[in-house]
Amino acid sequence: MSRWRTLRFDFSAMASPCSVQMDGQDERLMRRAAQAMIAEVQRIEQKFSRYRESSVVSRINRAAGQQWVEVDAETLGLLDFAQALWTQSDGLFDVTSGVLRRAWDFKKAVLPDQGQLQALLPLVGWQHLERKGRQVRLTRTGMELDFGGFGKEYAADRAAAVLHNHQISHALVNLGGDLHALGGRGLPESASAPWHIEVQHPRPDPAQPQAPLALLPLTRGGLATSGDYERFFIQDGQRYCHILDPRTGWPVSHWQSVSVLAANAVTAGALATIAMLKGPVATDWLAAQNVDYLMVQHDGHRVHHTQQLPP
Amino acid sequence: MVMASAAVAAVATESVLMKKTNTSHFLPASGVLLASLVLPGLAALVAATPLNASAENAPEKSTIAIKYGTYKDSQPGWDRVQVDAPQLYVQAPIAGVWALEGSWVGDSVSGASPRWHTQTTGASRMSDYRNAGDFRVTRFFPRAAVSASVAYSNEHDYTSSAIGLDARWSTEDNNRTWTVGYGSSSDRIDNTYSGGDVVNQRKRTHEFMAGVTQVLTPSDIAQFNLTRSFGEGYYNDPYKTLDTRPNSRNTWIALARWNHHVESFDASVHSSYRYYNDTFGVRSHTLGLEWVQPAGRWTFTPGLRYYSQSAASFYLDPIMDAQGNYDAQAVLMRAVSLNGQNQSTDQRLAAFGAVTLSMKVAYALTPATTIDLKVEAYKQRTSWHLGGSGSPGLDPFDAQFVQIGLTHRF
Repeated sequence: MSRWRTLRFDFSAMASPCSVQMDGQDERLMRRAAQAMIAEVQRIEQKFSRYRESSVVSRINRAAGQQWVEVDAETLGLLDFAQALWTQSDGLFDVTSGVLRRAWDFKKAVLPDQGQLQALLPLVGWQHLERKGRQVRLTRTGMELDFGGFGKEYAADRAAAVLHNHQISHALVNLGGDLHALGGRGLPESASAPWHIEVQHPRPDPAQPQAPLALLPLTRGGLATSGDYERFFIQDGQRYCHILDPRTGWPVSHWQSVSVLAANAVTAGALATIAMLKGPVATDWLAAQNVDYLMVQHDGHRVHHTQQLPP
Repeated sequence: MVMASAAVAAVATESVLMKKTNTSHFLPASGVLLASLVLPGLAALVAATPLNASAENAPEKSTIAIKYGTYKDSQPGWDRVQVDAPQLYVQAPIAGVWALEGSWVGDSVSGASPRWHTQTTGASRMSDYRNAGDFRVTRFFPRAAVSASVAYSNEHDYTSSAIGLDARWSTEDNNRTWTVGYGSSSDRIDNTYSGGDVVNQRKRTHEFMAGVTQVLTPSDIAQFNLTRSFGEGYYNDPYKTLDTRPNSRNTWIALARWNHHVESFDASVHSSYRYYNDTFGVRSHTLGLEWVQPAGRWTFTPGLRYYSQSAASFYLDPIMDAQGNYDAQAVLMRAVSLNGQNQSTDQRLAAFGAVTLSMKVAYALTPATTIDLKVEAYKQRTSWHLGGSGSPGLDPFDAQFVQIGLTHRF
């Protein structure tokens, strides 16, 4: 063992800037762990990205309305989780709602044709996905499965698990804003202190565009943020963001952003997204989930709930 | 009636269990979090990650539970005691950091109980009604909670009042919870009302408890509790003939529990071992096993319990005549000759083994309302005594317990 040091590795995955930061004394071990961790993130991207022809998701989507596709245990696990989210969100979190993006073009910034949106709605619905043992099938032609709603968070948790298996105990994984902290800081001068996470401001002040909304301490577990500022356009003073209600096909508008701290990133991310979709009733629902959160309402009003953070 | 205490104990255990489930020591985890733990590779990580930052949260909802239990015991050719016990339990949160709990049980006891061993002749008949209530207030802090309680129970010949204090707190990672508790009870026994000769006798006990609960893996939780109690006062059973017991009883109780979640069945196994010994000379072992199987709105909980105890040092075996029949005359002569010394022929102080089979079925009518049915069959045999034949000359003893309940949270 030698002296303590901090290493930071930056990489790109899932179309996002990613990084991992570690405090430790064994540099070779830290480098090996980082390498294995990045490989794990890339494996998950290749296996589940809907943009990859060879991914299991693309295979299922190509067979929509036609044949059964046999999948492995990991995919079945993700499908189980998707099912749980759909049930517990009363159908708001639906991994088949990505098809609505065909009607919404955020680059061109035009409102969709209502007829086109109506035609897409019947293709949205977890209940139209059938399972039989290890086999899965989208029953309607044109349906699309998309794990994008929690894929990055799942990768962040799996990445942290890889580090954990390499005996790393002070690390922060950041996959495009979805974070998992594996223990606090390790350096002797800041031992066990939390990592400080800057949460992006949903409406940055033009004078200080980099100023964060908040600085949240995170020692263990996941932090994820869902917001209306990631992809959006504004027309006639109205903001249209990429988070779409699967029942109507239209964007949500009650919250500007929702950040959730939970035991892992996949839970934090799912809860943040469901809260965006729930609108005004999200506060009570999140409180019942026993997590900490920071939400910004449409008028800029902040709502937060803290168990582990200092007030 | 003092006699009824065994029957009442069965019912009292139920109300204690009811309270346990309502102020669970285990960490609350959200539904979404629980679902995420099933994701491949994530459970191992959560072993290193706390499920929640506060060890125990103040309840957010009120709970009301109504239960009705009926207990009946028998030995061959003779129905002994029947107890009917309606129960009410209420819990209400206050200001987010307090919880108030109250419960009431009303037992009506009727039947007869032997004056000697398991002899039917000359049994003492009884019919009594017991009212018992308790009240408990808990203050929740971050990762800790403190409770104070008072309890009162009243039968025409037996009055008991008790107070208790306990505290529990968790380590920063919430994987370990420590518990300490103190309880004191004061009892008064007086059966002159029904023509007895026990006048204003007292009994006091002090009990100290310490325990630790440890999360071992995401699927395993273990608990260990040690309890020491000191009692002084009147321990005789006035409804048994020439029953004389020491006027102090100190006990040690060690309890170990292990709960394991069985991933492939989505079920839990609850196992426990309890060791007991006291200055009466009774030493007992209890092994318990339960399988908790949820299935949609249903939860099925079959259980098995084995109990074995050694006899109290002053327990006297029956005396048999040459034909192998109970020699009541000889038993009486012996009792008279020993008068003034500690002696008892109470079956409950003999050496025996017992097996309880139980089944609990719960059904969630709505997410907030659950009905449940519990059936228990208890069989006691001297031959089932651990590592030996147990006390001779006693009849087998059986009991049934059935309880229905309705629980609502709002």
